Amino acid sequence: MARSVWKGPFVDAYVLKKAEAARDSGRKEVIKIWSRRSTILPQFVGLTFGVYNGQKHIPVNVTEDMIGQKFGEYSPTRTYYGHAADKKAKRK
Amino acid sequence: MNDKVCVGAIAGAYGVRGEVRLKSFCAVPEDIVDYAPLSSEDGTQNFSVQVTGRIKNGLTARLSGVESKEAADALKGLRLYAPRERLPALPDDEYYYADLIGLEVLDTGGTPLGRVRSVQNHGAGDLLEIIGPGLKATVLLPFTQEAVPTVDLEAGRIIADPPDGLF
Repeated sequence: MARSVWKGPFVDAYVLKKAEAARDSGRKEVIKIWSRRSTILPQFVGLTFGVYNGQKHIPVNVTEDMIGQKFGEYSPTRTYYGHAADKKAKRK
Repeated sequence: MNDKVCVGAIAGAYGVRGEVRLKSFCAVPEDIVDYAPLSSEDGTQNFSVQVTGRIKNGLTARLSGVESKEAADALKGLRLYAPRERLPALPDDEYYYADLIGLEVLDTGGTPLGRVRSVQNHGAGDLLEIIGPGLKATVLLPFTQEAVPTVDLEAGRIIADPPDGLF
């Protein structure tokens, strides 16, 4: 069942605090968070979060198209090493 | 840089007429045909590939020189390699995973940080997994212009400017 609209998106309070502090400082840093359940808000765009996956913090660069998703979606808890073959990486 | 890239593997025979089940590791599975003829790791066996259909978890294909189910069964587990130069050239700022893996990673001061172990993408951009002697566990470095200002494939190294709190 979907979350009621009147409540607004859920975000752990400490994530908001840390994001605000990082934005104010203007420093390039990875914001370590453990809250995989928090929703990605528009004010997080451009920041890099280190989202805990149970073992380590996976860097997640937040972009506009990620708004509304949860942080945990970008930090898988199981790692699969496939073959490189012809797969390409783009430097953004 | 490796001169050969593993692009697929033979999973076994398909049917009784010498076709094989082919596992393609390519981003688009059917692209494996573009890199044919493919060879075994030691280079002793070479195959041209003709894809005949799609099945669950792979493709069905006919390989040159494989005419019977017994011959196809004998190839089960064989990994297929293509020469690196057969992969098409890429535009600036695009790199093959195979080229990035193994590169030495240095920081902007020239201090070695480690080597690229793998490239991962979990939906939020590409990440370089770096392993090094001074690291307790692997570190994931975002593959962005800011964090990785220089990629020098000829020299086999990457200059990284990692954000605070990563290393």
